Amino acid sequence: MKLADFVVPGAILPNITSTDRNGVIRDLVNALADAGELAAEDVEVIAKAAIQRENQGSTGFGKGVAVPHVKHVKIPRIMAAIGRSAAGVDFAALDRSPVYTVVMLLSPPDQPEAHLQAMERIFSHLQRDQFRRFLRQAETVESVVELIREADEAPAG
Amino acid sequence: MPLRRGIGVSSGVVIGDALVLETEEARVPRRIVPRDQIDHEVSVSDRAFESARKEVAAEREQFAARAGTELADIFGFHERWLGDVKPRKEIASLIRSKHYSAAYAISVFMRKYRRRFQEMGSPFLQERARDIQDIERRLLHHVGGETRLELASLKDPIIIVAHDLTPSELVALEKTKRLLGFATDAGGTTSHTAIIAAGLGIPAVVGLENITSNVSSGDTLVIDGLHGVVVVNPDESQRSTYAAEAKHLEEVRDTLAELTELAAETRDGVRIALLGNIEFPLEIDDCINRGAEGIGLFRTEFLFLEADPLPGEEEQYRAYCDAVDAVAGRPLVIRTMDLGGDKCHRGGGWEVEKNPFLGLRSIRYSLQNLSMFRSQLRAILRASVHGDVRVMFPLISRIMELRQAKFVLSLVMEELEEEGFEFKSDIPVGVMVETPAAAICARELGRETDFMSIGTNDLIQYTLAVDRTNERVAQLYSPADPSIIRLIRRVVKDADRTGTSISLCGEMAGDPLFAILLVGMGLRTLSMAAGNIPRTKKIIRSVSLADAIRVRKRVMSFETEREVLNYLRDETRKVWDEI
Amino acid sequence: MHDNSNSVRVEVTISNRQGLHARPVMRFVDIAMKYDCEIRVHKNELTVDGKSPMEMMLLEAVQGTVLALEAIGDGATEALEELARLIDGKFGED
Repeated sequence: MKLADFVVPGAILPNITSTDRNGVIRDLVNALADAGELAAEDVEVIAKAAIQRENQGSTGFGKGVAVPHVKHVKIPRIMAAIGRSAAGVDFAALDRSPVYTVVMLLSPPDQPEAHLQAMERIFSHLQRDQFRRFLRQAETVESVVELIREADEAPAG
Repeated sequence: MPLRRGIGVSSGVVIGDALVLETEEARVPRRIVPRDQIDHEVSVSDRAFESARKEVAAEREQFAARAGTELADIFGFHERWLGDVKPRKEIASLIRSKHYSAAYAISVFMRKYRRRFQEMGSPFLQERARDIQDIERRLLHHVGGETRLELASLKDPIIIVAHDLTPSELVALEKTKRLLGFATDAGGTTSHTAIIAAGLGIPAVVGLENITSNVSSGDTLVIDGLHGVVVVNPDESQRSTYAAEAKHLEEVRDTLAELTELAAETRDGVRIALLGNIEFPLEIDDCINRGAEGIGLFRTEFLFLEADPLPGEEEQYRAYCDAVDAVAGRPLVIRTMDLGGDKCHRGGGWEVEKNPFLGLRSIRYSLQNLSMFRSQLRAILRASVHGDVRVMFPLISRIMELRQAKFVLSLVMEELEEEGFEFKSDIPVGVMVETPAAAICARELGRETDFMSIGTNDLIQYTLAVDRTNERVAQLYSPADPSIIRLIRRVVKDADRTGTSISLCGEMAGDPLFAILLVGMGLRTLSMAAGNIPRTKKIIRSVSLADAIRVRKRVMSFETEREVLNYLRDETRKVWDEI
Repeated sequence: MHDNSNSVRVEVTISNRQGLHARPVMRFVDIAMKYDCEIRVHKNELTVDGKSPMEMMLLEAVQGTVLALEAIGDGATEALEELARLIDGKFGED
């Protein structure tokens, strides 16, 4: 599975302005709706579910990265949005550092295996210092898309 | 007097009467029926087909509900085969033309049919001979034929001689308490049956090629598992030599058996936990009977190797639950599948690798085959609520692999929680330290794990760059090599520094020669094959920690493997002269 | 495909990786059984009954094996079309 299979280019937000966790999650779900991947009327319920999941345990695994994710019946396929915050957002991360890069994965509930595979891909890439650093520095949608393309060509082990 | 050499897989000497187990196809007696009974035999055969088919159909439905369509398909094929009119007609014509009994006609036909598969060039189709065997067994059961093991419902102690024994047959035979030892045509030191025999301490010689054709039931046999020798109908002098040897070994065993209830404790009161290594849940009872305080290594790949198709989550869950039940509250360390290298399951799309031991094996394979890994973790986690279950990842060579594996574990926990399954969310997570990389970075690994276990078999092979199955270099493989000793010492120290519990679970743990040294190096948990537990305990109870530390210091000063071995042999003999 | 006094013949090549093992044989026989016509499968000089799983297994048709399918009787053409589709579609495997 490649990142490009599920990252929606229209839902890459290189300059997210929300300053709190819930705001960032809402922005990303909205971006997926704007890109035509989700119905506008489902945005709120999906965002709420993602926030609820995040409340159960932070997906901020450290080093300025968080990977919020949610499964919901209103999600038609596996898709991801990416947000970058220059100022940093508090995600109650494990290392207590602010989060600068958020990769959010949305999956339908009936594809647990694909969900796991996509999460594992995201995690493996984000574990690489270089990928993480470049993602944090990418200021345009194009540069993020390019970064994802490069990452897919040299899969992380 | 004829002396046959094979591969000794389990030490011990035994003398007794042979019972030759016939292979399946030769088992059904040739029986000719009177002319007026022919119609009856044909209908017996037809009814056997019909009831066998119904039985399979019922099983298929059961499996479709539980394990998905893959497995159900295999049963589906059996069902269609049994519903086919062709085999019924051919068997009926054998009965009519040769007056065979239904059972014998079926066995003759099936043997001929099976042979055609065995002659096929494609290994995949050859494998189908196993399906045919399954169908045959089922049919014979329905015509009222007895099974091989019922045949062996033993009254007197015997030595089993067979072409091959399956692990479950061996365990069933052992449970009769009449099994003295066994000898087989097939097999090698790494066959599952051999590993279990060693664990159970049953003297056995395998790989004899044609022992079944050279021995008849009732012959007297000597099985010398230590030297891999079988003597058929020994003469007086052979008999008395082996009898003396067997008696001596028995005395040693009895001395050791007295220790079962006692703790593995040094003379100055340092407790060492001795745990068992197992492949199958069936082996747990034996570990505990020999004094194991739990299971330090449950090698789950055997669930996968034997299976075709691969076991699903439910099947694994049942196996792990069986193990949890058997350990009865004691710790159970389940190691996730260590596939690849020399252990590839059927199917699974294994690519031929130039260097399988440096290739896609073990945790690397799991992380690239997430759907298998996922179902295994789900099964382990679900079983974890029933006891003291711990999960261990094998062949970790970099911290990233550990983090990835732990991440997948956390996702699987999330999934189970969503589905409402119970599991132990704080299940202890550990790693095997069996690559030089992991040993050198043990401190970093220790910080992110609850426990570590040193797997010496792989650690030695990778550190010394020796394949011990390669006869030309096998002598270079040694746990006594100073590099290995220093590496282990380093790992133990690093584990202590990070407050991570540390154990050792390779063959070195059960080798009596190293018991004193391992204690002196700071190890307080050793996990080994059941058969090695009593003598290890005996040695531990005979030394003090001060002795062990003195031995360790001396050993650490040696430069060659030879010096280490000679010194350890002398030191061990001082406390136990049976070495 | 040529029609000869209601006997139809077609050549097919087994292309799935694992060849004609248990599951594909099952699929094949299931389709063959739907039709009234007789179905024979030829491999070199060996001929087996396409409705008999027992005989079909003996074909030893690994990947790349060329088989001739022959159907005689009612629905012969349709039967062969459906069977050829199954084989060309690799039995839904790979």
